[in-house]
Amino acid sequence: MNKRLVAYSATLIAAIGLPFALSNDPYLLAITNFIIIYSILCLGLNLILGYSGLLSLGHAAFYGIGAYATAILMTKHGFGFLPSLVISGLLALLLGFVLGLPTRKVRGDYFCLLTLAFGEIFRLVTQAWIGFTGGAMGIVGIPIPTVFGWEIKSEVDFYFLGIALLGFTYVTLKMLIESKFGRAFIAIREDELAASVMGINAPIYKILTFSIGSFYAGLAGSYLAVYQTTVTPSNFRLEESCLMIIMVIVGGMGRLEATFPGVAMMAIAIELFRPIAEYRLLLIGAIMILVLLFRPQGFLGASAFKD
Amino acid sequence: MPTSMFFDVLIVGIMVGAIYTLVTIGYSMVYGMLKLMNFAHGDVYIFGTLLCYTLLTKYQLNPLLAILLAALSGGTLASLVEFFAYRRLRAAQHRMISMITALGAAYVIQNNSERTWSSQVLPFPSLFPAHQVYVFGHEVSVAPLITLTVAVLFIIVFNLFLKRHKIGKAILCVSQDMPTSSLMGIPINKIITVVYFLGGVLGVIGGILYSTSYNAISLGMGFRGTIVAFTAAVIGGIGSMSGTLIGGMILGITENLVSVYISSSYRDSITFLILIIILLFKPTGIMGSVEKDKL
Repeated sequence: MNKRLVAYSATLIAAIGLPFALSNDPYLLAITNFIIIYSILCLGLNLILGYSGLLSLGHAAFYGIGAYATAILMTKHGFGFLPSLVISGLLALLLGFVLGLPTRKVRGDYFCLLTLAFGEIFRLVTQAWIGFTGGAMGIVGIPIPTVFGWEIKSEVDFYFLGIALLGFTYVTLKMLIESKFGRAFIAIREDELAASVMGINAPIYKILTFSIGSFYAGLAGSYLAVYQTTVTPSNFRLEESCLMIIMVIVGGMGRLEATFPGVAMMAIAIELFRPIAEYRLLLIGAIMILVLLFRPQGFLGASAFKD
Repeated sequence: MPTSMFFDVLIVGIMVGAIYTLVTIGYSMVYGMLKLMNFAHGDVYIFGTLLCYTLLTKYQLNPLLAILLAALSGGTLASLVEFFAYRRLRAAQHRMISMITALGAAYVIQNNSERTWSSQVLPFPSLFPAHQVYVFGHEVSVAPLITLTVAVLFIIVFNLFLKRHKIGKAILCVSQDMPTSSLMGIPINKIITVVYFLGGVLGVIGGILYSTSYNAISLGMGFRGTIVAFTAAVIGGIGSMSGTLIGGMILGITENLVSVYISSSYRDSITFLILIIILLFKPTGIMGSVEKDKL
């Protein structure tokens, strides 16, 4: 416990010091903020993917639900940022719960298709329902968020807001995984049949894991809305869901800390390949194949993880 | 609503259904055999179709020769993808891993095609005459009928190949029980290469038939093709041959009826809606069987 306290405080100090180390360079801070958003998303996804073994191709939709909820609440109904953040997360949680319900009947790859269809329908609806979501143009002019009187305007402000959200995500997920609840779904992951014989209600745990993972995607979406000040359907395409899955797998499934190197590596790769944008997809595809051919469990993955 | 229009829509629907079946066969066979979602399937068939477009328009090749060349290269590309991106991972701890490399392969092929052909919609030439004929007293264009016939012929020939030919029988054996087939002396790796090759060939033929009946081809159709194959395979029951036909037909006919009588902008949503409904009520598909856990 003492060791962990030291690790936490060291991380905290590093996190506070980082903007100064980057000498407040807006470009580097923007990349860092991108990494933070994706870390929140991928931590939630790692819970779903790595701890309950459900493949979700609709994570971007929950991200989008959070973003649209915040955008609509703040522009049309005059909500503040904090209430919108909470509502966005809870809305994603609720919809995750509803979408997770069929896991009782729909299993494995079929569930993956269900999430894919959900994600695509979300995108098609946001494009078509112009009156509510602004159609393909999306929603613009999301106001500057204020948290307890602190106006969040600059990249540095957003960095600290992001770090706070990321810290919240990591600590709560860590607590969850180390609780009785977490041990139950690790048991399910390792052997669902054996776990259910031991009296663990596997379907309920899967639904809860799925909706909790989605909750964090909602939070990330809410952050994205105020950070970009606009949301458009193209932010939440299937490619985004795929990118998140790649980040989780490259980092390593079934281990929270492994998410960070995965996200950072892919984010930096995307940035580095920006000058040769026409080959970007090719290089990213090649990286994915090569990493997994030689290290199928990801960089820091839990090695015991099996099908 | 005139009956002849409904008749026309229905024929086009059945035609699209047959094409979807061709595109789905390869995907469904791979899934049935290896339990791998081949994300690269759509990009492979669109590569072959784009190649056929270049051969036809730029090099003015004989259509039959162009189709043959395109189909063979599509098949070769599919087996190359299998060899480089999937084979080593077949024994990996988790199936998700090869799904991600499939996605990676899809990106690589897609990027390559985009560099060569751009992502714009290109005008694919009509390969069949545009006459009108009378069927049961209704005026019908002849092109969809020819397309339908060709597609159905391919489906029948492929089915006969599976049932009668030695390699076809071996494919069925491997998809039923891989370890046992291997013990019986069936060369698993070769059979898997053949399955990918044939899947690629049939996919490219489906892609060409689709493009020639709509006179259009674009890179984006690749991803849509993957989704269509997913959906048609799931509706019918993944891995089942007759299921693939039923799935393709349901999808093709509904899409066309919706496009004509409701609105073409709802076409994709309908595809996904059908998918969700089928998954919720019959997750194993119409012709699929329930897999039980082994105790």
